[in-house]
Amino acid sequence: MSTKGTHIPDWLQVPFAGITPAPTQKKGQDLFPTGNWRSIRPVYRDKMPPCNNACGTNEKIQGYLDLVKRGKYLDAYALIKEDMPFPSITGRVCYHPCEQACNRGKHDEAISIRAVERFLGDLGQALPKDVVTAGAPTGKKVAVVGSGPAGHSAAYQLARLGHQVTVLEKSPKAGGLNRGGIPDWVLPQEILDREIERLEQLGVTIKTGVEVGKDVSWDDLAKNYDACVLAVGLTEPNSVRAEGEDKKGVLYGLPFLRDIGMGTSTVKLGPRVAVIGGGNTAIDCAREALRQGAQEVTMITVEGNKDEMPCVPEDLHDMLEEGVDLLHGLAVTSIAGNGSVEALQLNPARFTGVVNKSPIAVDRDAAGTRFAVDNVIIAVGQHASLGWLPAEFKNDRGTIAVDAFGRLGSTNFFAAGDIVQFGGGQPLMVVNAVGDGKRVAFNVDRVLRGETLQPRGMFIDVITDLKRMNMTYFPHFPRVPQALLQPESRKRTQDEVIQAYSEEQAVEEANRCFSCGTCNACDNCYLVCPEPCIIRADRSNGLYKIMVDYCKGCRVCIEECPTGCLEGVPELDFDTGVVRMDTAFAISPGLHGRQAEQLRQVPNLPPKDIVNWK
Amino acid sequence: MADKKRNVRINGCVAAAQAAKYADVDVITAYPIRPYTATMMALAQMVANGELDAEYIVADSEHSQLSIAHGAASSGARVFTGSSGVGVQYAYELYSPISGSRMPVQMMIADRTLDPPGDFGSEHTDALSTRDMGWLMGWSCDAQEAFDNHLMAFRIGEDPRVLLPQMVCQDGFFVSHITTDCELPDSGQVAEFLPPYKHPYPLDPRHPVSHGPQIMPEQGPPLQLERARAMEGAMPVIEQVHDEFAKIFGRRYDPWVEEYMTDGADVVFFLQGGHGVTARHAVRHMRERGAKVGLVRLRTIRPYPTDRVNEVLSKFKVVGVVETNMGLGSVSSGGSLYAEACAALYESDKRPLVVSFMAGMGGEAIVLKEFYWMTNKLLEAQKKGKIEKRTHWVGFEE
Repeated sequence: MSTKGTHIPDWLQVPFAGITPAPTQKKGQDLFPTGNWRSIRPVYRDKMPPCNNACGTNEKIQGYLDLVKRGKYLDAYALIKEDMPFPSITGRVCYHPCEQACNRGKHDEAISIRAVERFLGDLGQALPKDVVTAGAPTGKKVAVVGSGPAGHSAAYQLARLGHQVTVLEKSPKAGGLNRGGIPDWVLPQEILDREIERLEQLGVTIKTGVEVGKDVSWDDLAKNYDACVLAVGLTEPNSVRAEGEDKKGVLYGLPFLRDIGMGTSTVKLGPRVAVIGGGNTAIDCAREALRQGAQEVTMITVEGNKDEMPCVPEDLHDMLEEGVDLLHGLAVTSIAGNGSVEALQLNPARFTGVVNKSPIAVDRDAAGTRFAVDNVIIAVGQHASLGWLPAEFKNDRGTIAVDAFGRLGSTNFFAAGDIVQFGGGQPLMVVNAVGDGKRVAFNVDRVLRGETLQPRGMFIDVITDLKRMNMTYFPHFPRVPQALLQPESRKRTQDEVIQAYSEEQAVEEANRCFSCGTCNACDNCYLVCPEPCIIRADRSNGLYKIMVDYCKGCRVCIEECPTGCLEGVPELDFDTGVVRMDTAFAISPGLHGRQAEQLRQVPNLPPKDIVNWK
Repeated sequence: MADKKRNVRINGCVAAAQAAKYADVDVITAYPIRPYTATMMALAQMVANGELDAEYIVADSEHSQLSIAHGAASSGARVFTGSSGVGVQYAYELYSPISGSRMPVQMMIADRTLDPPGDFGSEHTDALSTRDMGWLMGWSCDAQEAFDNHLMAFRIGEDPRVLLPQMVCQDGFFVSHITTDCELPDSGQVAEFLPPYKHPYPLDPRHPVSHGPQIMPEQGPPLQLERARAMEGAMPVIEQVHDEFAKIFGRRYDPWVEEYMTDGADVVFFLQGGHGVTARHAVRHMRERGAKVGLVRLRTIRPYPTDRVNEVLSKFKVVGVVETNMGLGSVSSGGSLYAEACAALYESDKRPLVVSFMAGMGGEAIVLKEFYWMTNKLLEAQKKGKIEKRTHWVGFEE
């Protein structure tokens, strides 16, 4: 009997005929660690969704859409609040670069991210107490000059980090551009009031009617505070350099809106109003003019057509719906009238695209046209008023010169928002100012804690190629439209034009999200794994576990991952010959590992006394 | 359906079908090839008539046939299948997996010569080529023995100490298609002898397990060792089952070898299967004429009864192995049974001379005259004390 006296050691005891617990169970995988056959290992490697990347303050958009899908609204709200203080505001006013970047736009229609953000922002507004609390006190005092988007954001983040923040605002009411630059029918004042209240609840002191350079000096700031964030914005309207600009009835965009926002406006518009400019402020002015009683509003732009206008297309569309006329390719060369405005002299002009001293070429030799008006609102940008700033920190664009961290030289002064003017010198949008305020606040915090400032140099893998995802899983489905008040009924009132999503609409819209490049716990890998060796620990991002001792690297999960967050990583680096496979003769606490241990124990040379060797 | 004990005259194929019916098999998988087809025809009729409640599955090939049998057995079913000749070969991939997963599938073999050219006649090569795949294996020589062997094989293979598949073989046509007297038992006897089958680890969605998972190299040897243990462990079970069979049915078989007129014999034939019937007649005729010749018929070749073959064949001076199979380029350059016999005798103190006869090839009958001719060769070797040559091709030599 050949099997007489045979003995199977404990560590090689395998179940009857190899019939084992299913590999879904730990014991089953320990017994058969077949992972060392693998040449490709699936790895969950979340990419940057394009929306998060495009957002001026890098909100975790995919993350909160995913939470909305699952009905976790409060968690979603808290997630936005990490990157920005007021989703109720950006949910109304944002120019939503996220939606322009949204991959779903290449498939059918981009996700209506702003509408979902507003849904969450309004939810936050309705909470009796905000979810955000001030950080542990650091004992450091920080002044924030300006309470617009950048200042608000910086003050909010600094308070969260535990600093004692004082906001200095020169206007009688806090809010800056949020209040003075955005009409009520886009952002009702009570929404902003509530957000400012929330900021105060974080322990931030807001002093209104305090103007830097007048009520408080540079030296006062340096002396009384450990650090200071300058977020004063661009307050002074640009001129069109036309003759007669000093006539009565000539208004400027931001002051026009600001006075209405602050409740200090005394303007009575005549029936015919012209708005000069093609940007967002000009559009707001034109629409506000209708609401202030103008009968005929005409917008005059140097841009040759609608597409060239530097504005949010939806707002332009809504403006045209309300009956504003558009004249393109014209510039005002003089303003005629006897004391008051009576007509504009318009000459052909074009935008040269050069962002410097004279970006507009006007044909002054042409005959030109006379355009009769009662008022003209000039909205062609604004510039800074920095008389109080030491000259060394001014740059040639007339704004504050800062380093890569938003810092003024080696001082503890930082600047954020429009007054810094990142990029091409164009004014920032609200969300970009918020992001700027956030990043600067973090740097202020590092300086106050004595930490080194690190420039952002991380490689970001933004997933923009639909081929990296599996589009089979996303049937075409149109976006949920946001209701609008009818143009005829809205154009004479201050009622909010764009209506909010209901809960059902918000969930339906969030459900359209691809979760580009990011695990959203869809269970697909768990279901398609043929072995199966994917463990579902929890229904949350990135919480699947791949039992690498068992995974043979068949790639099915990678191919079938709808979001493209699973990647195949080669186990063998064929270029260098380096074995990265930690399972080859490996490895696991399973049997194969035991054998590897035994192999290592075999001596290099046979012993001399081979007969008695054991 | 209760059957009464009765005597019938049936062929080997029908006997095998009857045994499957008495065993109340759950699943039958079929694919036609002569000569075993008659078994499946009989079973199909039984299922159609409602005599047997079983899943009767016609596969698209022998490979599928055995695959289905494997799967059905994994679910805990008692499975019956079968084949002949090249059909046996086509399913070859499945033999080791089925025994390796310890599924006691039963397979009926009615031998057929392997191609080419197409030859319906019996030759044991088809089944013998799979002899080391971990299946219990033995040959019957008539319908009654076939019926009995099938019934016993179920009992042996399904024994929890064994759990191995079984090939119950019979010569094509000589056994499969020649009707002989056969006693079919009372259903009650079978119920007493063969308990309902219960596999210890059937597939069950409520208790998921892996059957046949991929393993690491070092996990192979323990599983092979366990299969070897099962094969060896089957030997006492086989003896015990033959005893119980004799008690219940009244027919006693030696589980390993049938000795016919070996008392005082100097030379014996060593063979398997249906030619044993002719051999008995030839031996009796020659005994009547004074030749001291006998017959040793091997009933079970897997597990191979090495000690028993050693003990039995050592009693004689010369052993003539009648092959009925092809072992091209083998030890004897004839068949493969010679090597099995010689190996068993190697450790014997009284090692007999061994001669191999290539006879019954291609399904030809081995006629009495040829047995006389072979006996002459054996006696000559005994007289001279040495063999003339290792292998004789009977019918092609003077």
